Amino acid sequence: MRLALRGLRLPLPRFTLEVDLELHGRVAGLFGPSGAGKTSLLELIVGLRRPTQGSVHLAGRRLTDAAERSFVPPERRRIGYVPQDGALFPHLSVRRNLLYGAPHGDPTGEGKNRLAEIASVLEIESLLDRGIAGLSGGERQRVALGRALLAAPELLLLDEPFAGVDRPLRGRILPVLARIRDDLRVPMLYVSHEPEEILALCDEALRLERGRIVAHGAPAEVLASTTTSRAAAGSPS
Amino acid sequence: MKRLLLPLALGAWFVLPAVPTAAVELNVSAAASLTDALQEIVHAYEASCGDHILLNLGASSLLARQIEEGAPADLFLSADEAKMDSLAKKGLVLAGTRKSVLGNTLVVVVPLDSKLKISAPADLVSSSIRALALAEPQTVPAGIYAKEYLQKLGLWRKVIDRVVPTENVRAALAAVESGNADAGIVYQTDAEISHKVKVAYAVSEAEGPKISYPFAALAASRHPQETRRFLAYLSSPPALDVFRRFGFLVISGPAAHP
Amino acid sequence: MSGEEFQILGFTLGMAALAMVAILPPGLALAWLLARRTFPGKAVLETLVALPLVMPPVATGLFLLRLFGRRSALGRFVHDRLDVDVIFTWRGVLVAMAVMSLPLFVRSARVAFEEVPLRLEQIARTLGASPVRAFVTVTLPLAARGLTAGLLLAFARALGEFGATIVVAGNIPGRTQTLALAIYQLIQLGRDDAAVRLCLAAAGLAFVALFTSERLLRRRPS
Repeated sequence: MRLALRGLRLPLPRFTLEVDLELHGRVAGLFGPSGAGKTSLLELIVGLRRPTQGSVHLAGRRLTDAAERSFVPPERRRIGYVPQDGALFPHLSVRRNLLYGAPHGDPTGEGKNRLAEIASVLEIESLLDRGIAGLSGGERQRVALGRALLAAPELLLLDEPFAGVDRPLRGRILPVLARIRDDLRVPMLYVSHEPEEILALCDEALRLERGRIVAHGAPAEVLASTTTSRAAAGSPS
Repeated sequence: MKRLLLPLALGAWFVLPAVPTAAVELNVSAAASLTDALQEIVHAYEASCGDHILLNLGASSLLARQIEEGAPADLFLSADEAKMDSLAKKGLVLAGTRKSVLGNTLVVVVPLDSKLKISAPADLVSSSIRALALAEPQTVPAGIYAKEYLQKLGLWRKVIDRVVPTENVRAALAAVESGNADAGIVYQTDAEISHKVKVAYAVSEAEGPKISYPFAALAASRHPQETRRFLAYLSSPPALDVFRRFGFLVISGPAAHP
Repeated sequence: MSGEEFQILGFTLGMAALAMVAILPPGLALAWLLARRTFPGKAVLETLVALPLVMPPVATGLFLLRLFGRRSALGRFVHDRLDVDVIFTWRGVLVAMAVMSLPLFVRSARVAFEEVPLRLEQIARTLGASPVRAFVTVTLPLAARGLTAGLLLAFARALGEFGATIVVAGNIPGRTQTLALAIYQLIQLGRDDAAVRLCLAAAGLAFVALFTSERLLRRRPS
């Protein structure tokens, strides 16, 4: 990915989010205590919020520029977003959820193949024609992931995607994300409390505290340098 | 004792008239077309005698219905005989007090700035009249009179699809004043008090219906004496002068009704 | 019921249905605006929309009479250019019903929109949907039950509308006489038996509309 956040500022209730960074790896991991501003940062990148100052650039394209009053709306950014609870559309089947963002105008051929491919990678083929009501937490997350992928994003943001998923299942999904990284080659920015996930997937790591990046570098170093991170993280069971 | 009697009697003779009689409040239900004339008359009456007159103005049909349902009213001034008849049949009229003193004529009115040329009944059928305002022709006297008039000339069926029936005759007048009705049939007396309509033509006596306003005291009145007094005032010369000034016709003598 | 009474019933139902068609676009727009946006003057807009609910219906009727009557700019335009009258015609009935039932619809529709998680609309946007597409494919379907319940409520209100209707459209049998107006006239004529028949019809219609509305609300997806 080539993501650049320059002089980004956003006032939040208890502090101001101030970020200035560039990301070049395949997968970047973002972690920090809850309330540090991680979700707000993701919303700024995807275009659901506007900063008071600063700019957002992706692969050389300027997406947000507060000074120039320039703003590309979310639907044209090609940035996928998988929020914490998946946010599946309750009125659509799994298949229609998955296909919601897929490029139109190709009812057969390539579109169908992509669906089959992603469904296979995420192991959700058996769920395709079901409604979303009876899905388990893990199934919901995988469908949300598939939905974001099928929209062919240039960057994928994942906001604690497995927060509600039990450990064994997480262990099975991490390889899937690795395949997304390696085979589908979709850059990701991954927010998580879990050091294992960060270490397993990410090329670089960032720690956000009270709206500022306090550490940025190789995952092992960043994790080791903050002994408070484990205490603050605490995985929800 | 006998020697005190004369002084006592003389004293009473001086004192008694000074005992004040309590001012009475009368409820008078009157046809809407009488509004302006009555207001002037009531004003004069209250000044002269101290009784307080409460006017309940509306369509005679509605007023009659209210009286039938037991609304407190001392006097009923109706715009047609039929409404009074129906009350009399139910025994609601105080015997011997009914008389018809006033008459009226119908006129066809148009808005003041109207360009329509209406000078004869046949003009009412013209297609440029899309809304002809009348008081409700089934129940309200002014509407009944207008319908009677049009039926007599064989025009009713032809205008019926553009008739706009209104609550009472003053509402018909208002509809024409506002310009929302192209023409209307109201009383001469209504046209005279309005500054926003002009008379297209007046319905002649020969073609028009016989309009008479019966007045009567009501049997359920709690103040029959004061009611009769006001009733008498209504047909006295000063009151009749006011009525005439507003355009009412004065029918000679009380009608012979039981 | 006589043929005349069926005509009145049919006319009233037809006008109320037409009024629903008329209030849908502005109602949806207003409801969405009030549900999803903040802006200066929002409280004023909310109050204006709610006004017909609390003002005496005849007062609203007078306002409409002046607005559409031949003496106003709007009335003159409509009459001279379009050769159409609103006062004392079925169009007046339509206007009165629409204005009086709009606030009820906006209230219910607003709640229906507020109950659709904003997150879902946002996700739709990130998946490439324009605001319009997100509205049509996500918001509307999820709000559908609440919107329908609101429309039924507004429909019931339009069916029973009297005060504004009688001022704007008059009580003209065969032309503007709705159920409520007919009942009023029958009372004045002393024909209570016919009035009661129409009252029962009105009550029956209102009951069905309201009952369906409540059922829909009860089974909303939470």
